[in-house]
Parts: sequence; structure tokens; C-alpha cells
Amino acid sequence: MSLVAILEQALNGLIVSSFYALAALGLAIIFGVLRVVNFAHGELYMLGGYAYFLAVASMGLPPVVGIVVAAAALAAMGALVEWLLIRPVYDGRADRPEEYSIMITFALSILLLNLANSLFGPWPRRPEPLFRGGVEIGELIVSGDRLAAAGVAVVLIAVLLAALRYTWAGRAVRAVSQNREAAAIFGISVTRVGMLAFATGAALAGLAGALMGPVFNVVPPMGVIPVIKAYVIVVLGGLGSIPGAIMGAIILGQVESFATILIPDPSRALAYKDAYGLVLLVGILLLRPQGLFGTKERRA
Amino acid sequence: MKLQTLRLLGLGLILLVFLALPLLLGDYWVYTITIGFYYAILAASWALLVGYIGRISFAQAAMAGLGGYASALSVQHAGLPPVLGLAAGVLVAGALGFVIGRLTLRLHGAYLGLTTIAFAEILRITATAEYQLTEGSRGLQVEPLLQDGSRSEYYYLFLAVTVACLALMTWLLRSRVGLFFQSIREDEDGAASLGVNVTLWKTVAFAISTAFAGLAGGLYAHFVQLITPSMMSLQEMGIVLAMAVIGGFHNVVFAALGGVSLQVLLEGLRELGEWRLVVFGLITLLILRLMPNGVFGTVADVLTDRLRKSGDDK
Repeated sequence: MSLVAILEQALNGLIVSSFYALAALGLAIIFGVLRVVNFAHGELYMLGGYAYFLAVASMGLPPVVGIVVAAAALAAMGALVEWLLIRPVYDGRADRPEEYSIMITFALSILLLNLANSLFGPWPRRPEPLFRGGVEIGELIVSGDRLAAAGVAVVLIAVLLAALRYTWAGRAVRAVSQNREAAAIFGISVTRVGMLAFATGAALAGLAGALMGPVFNVVPPMGVIPVIKAYVIVVLGGLGSIPGAIMGAIILGQVESFATILIPDPSRALAYKDAYGLVLLVGILLLRPQGLFGTKERRA
Repeated sequence: MKLQTLRLLGLGLILLVFLALPLLLGDYWVYTITIGFYYAILAASWALLVGYIGRISFAQAAMAGLGGYASALSVQHAGLPPVLGLAAGVLVAGALGFVIGRLTLRLHGAYLGLTTIAFAEILRITATAEYQLTEGSRGLQVEPLLQDGSRSEYYYLFLAVTVACLALMTWLLRSRVGLFFQSIREDEDGAASLGVNVTLWKTVAFAISTAFAGLAGGLYAHFVQLITPSMMSLQEMGIVLAMAVIGGFHNVVFAALGGVSLQVLLEGLRELGEWRLVVFGLITLLILRLMPNGVFGTVADVLTDRLRKSGDDK
């Protein structure tokens, strides 16, 4: 394998990683604050793609505005979902909160997937991307829409990290993730932070969908595969860990990019591409359930 | 005592209705309800795991697919009669369930959900990728279970197997083992301290549940005579989950009734097109949120309550 080919694989891996990270961060924030794995995350991602499509292709707004619209719409949706469905998990109304949270988000994903199928139809849509054409970096050629989307994703992740670090709301989110009771004692409304966390997580999923929609296709099941990658990433980094999610995304991007070369039969290699991450997921969960950065609990 | 007789009466009545249905309905509906029996066993096997021992799994549909493929392939390549093929499917699914149950002993809740999703997807991807063996997403032709079996013959066979499965599950859950399961669900450490072999029963519960799923999948494959990787998908799992939740996943019989009745409803509302699945999803959410015992569970609770009250009045 030549150096250029290796670099190309690595760069492709990094671009993919930035999208994965955006979706995975949303899952990590939601789990950190609410201790809920959002099994409907992939469908929020898909709705972000459709929000972008409706804004850009149907209403004729510029792509940048489309991305903002998708984020706002999904944030509102996330807040609504938290208020209607997630709240019983921690206010004592659900009999078995953990089972309830898993089943309710899984059922929500089924509902949203079929709703999108009925509302928008099963055919794929391709809205206008942020940027068109190829970009040459030395000998490497990368498609411009991917690079632009990855760039935006990296900027958004940086903004999110800064907000978590320096704003009052961000500190509240981190405080509740570390210790719910202590945060409540210090006057933080855990209910409001829960809603904020779910809205932020949904907005991040929507942003990822809006950025990826034009690169691949906007279609109802578009979230099914990316969300599984997001699960792999958050588990790899430790559920609820923000730096873990970013490291996990970088690792998964590279693993997928290079592991494809391991199987000689190309059609089979392609078919198994999505399985590498899953094997990684099972391995991590069985050997080190707290992930690379998570805190150890007695029982995962 | 009176409650017990009433319960038996209710079950007998339901069984009678199912016995009489093929005499009243056309071939199409007999076919639909036969598929409904597949979902009934699958939903009940899922409820056995989630409702009784409190271990969640998203691999149930994939396990049914595995049982189906194992059965179909052993009939095709080893020349087994379909009945032995079914047994092979049960063994393979049960064995993999045992392994998964063993590996995931330390995990619960969301971690277990994620692990089982991964196992399910790995199975589905493998079934798609190994096309020389499974014909990939084109689907594998499967030998029929009954040579020249008519629709109503299949119907009564499926009904008998479903009733037998439910009876077996109920017997198991009423025995000491069922108490072990529930004690683990309520408090794992407490159960262990009282001498319940938590490790053993957690593993066994997984194996039993997946073995039933494997049987359901094998029956389905030999009935429809075609098996595709899409029956192992997470969407299919979502349908099974919704059936068990709507019926009531704290009781295997209610979950099974949920399976049959929703399959019938889904077929009956065909003119609604894709919207019926939206309605279906919405109902699942509402039930989970407002009626955690499911439709049949809530009805049974109300009836029991009435009976108790009228008993007090006397």
C-alpha cells in the first residue's frame, strides 16, 4: 500500500469521525445528565436531515440557514420528548425506570421512522450541500461537500466544548452529570438541566443529520446505521464521557477505514464494513464496560 | 378459588375462539393469523426474558432468524426432515442464547440493550454477507413443513405449538425457577444472598428465551418457505417489542395475545398504508407511558378487582 493511499484512508477516516463525533456527543450528553441511552437518536438525526431538506429544497433558504433551522427544530423536539416521555424516568412515576427508558426511546424510534416514511415517502432526497466540487490537498483529492461538512462539524464540536466549559448552563450540565444530588443541593434545577441536555443532544443529532443529509441521502432509515456507530463510540469512550466520545469517534473512523482492507473479497469486505464497530462494541462491553474514559460502576 | 376458575374459563374461551376461527374465515385470514402465531411465540419469549427476569434483549428477532436459517440450512444440506430441522434451529438459537447470556452476566439495562443490538446486527450482517450459504438479501427458499399442507392444517399446527409453548412457559414460571427469575428481577444481590444461583438462572433464562425464539423462527421459515435477513432487523424487533408491550409484557400469555391481535390489526388496517405503523408506534408509546401492564394486563386487573370487590360485599 502506497503512502498516498494510506494517507487517503486516514483522511477519509478523520472526516467520517467528525460526523460520528457530532452524533455521539449528543448521546453522551443525554446519558451523562439523564442516565438514559436514547435509542431514538438515529431518528432525531434523520429528522435533522429532513428539516434541512424542507428548509433548503422546499422553502429555498440558503444551506447555512438550513442547518440553523434543523438545529432549532430538533432542539424544540428534544425538549418536548424529554417533557412528555423521559421525565417519568427520574421523577418516580415509572415503575422500573431503566427498562422504561430503554423501551420508550426504542418505541419512539419506531414511531418516528414510520412517521417519516408516511409523511415524506420512502424515496431518497438530495438537498443542496454546503459546498460543491473537489478539493486537492497535495496529491490527495477529497470531495468538497464532505470536507465542508466535516469542517462545520469540527467547529460545532469546539463551540460545544467551550460552552460546556465556560458557560453557566454548561457547568450545570457537567455538575449534574457528576453528581445529581450534590448539584441539586447547590441550587441547580436538575429538571431544567435534564430538559436542556435532551434538547442539546437532539439538536446535535439534528445537526449531524443536516450536515450528512446532502452528502449521502435524506431517507427515512438514514439514521439506523449512524446511530449504531454512535453507540459504539460512546461505549468505547465510556457512556456519558465527552472526551471519550471524541476519542471513540476518531478510533472508530480509523478502524473502519483500515479494517476494510483486511478481507480480500471486496464485495464481502463491503458487506462486513458495518460489523467491525459492532465487534468492537461487544468486546469493550464485555471486557471494560466503563469504556476508555468512563467511571467504573460496581455493575454496568 | 373463584378467581382461578374464572381465569381458566377465560383462557378456555379464547382457545375455543381460535379453534373455531378457520371454520368462519377465508384462507387469507387463516394465513394472517398463522403468521400471528409466530409473533405470539416470539413476543411471549421476549416477555419471558424482560417481564420476569428483567433482562432486556434486542436480539429476539435476530434469534428467530437464526433459528430459521439453522433449520432451513440443516434441512437443505444435511437432508434432515423439517421436524428435526426445527429441533436443530431450537438448539442453535438456545446455544447462542446461552453464550450471550453467559457473556453478558455483568451487564444490565442500557448496556445489555446495546450489547444485544450489536449481536443482533452482527447476525443480520453475517446472514446478508455470506450469500453463498444464505442467498443474501434475495432470500433463501425453504422446504415446507407439511408436504402439500393446507392453510388450515398449518393453522392448527401453529395453534397447537403456540399453546404448548405458552403452557411450558407458564409451567416453568409457576415453578421454583419462575420465583428465582422474579427474585433476580426484584433484587439481584438479595436473591444471591438467599441462595439463588444468580449466574446460572440469568444464563438459563437467556437460553430458554432464545430457544423459543428459534422455534418460532424455524416454524415461520418452513411455513412461508422463504427466509430473508430482513426478519432479523431492528425494525422487526421493534414490532415484536410493541406487540409484547401492548399486550402486556409482565405475562407471557398477554404478550402472546398482543402478538396475534396486532398482526391481525396490522393486516386489517392495510388500507391505511404506512400510517398504520405510525398509529401502532403511537399506541405503543401511550401504553408504555400510561398503561405499563398493557391492554390485556389492564383488562385482567380491572376484572380481578371487580371480582374481589363483589366478593367483599357478600
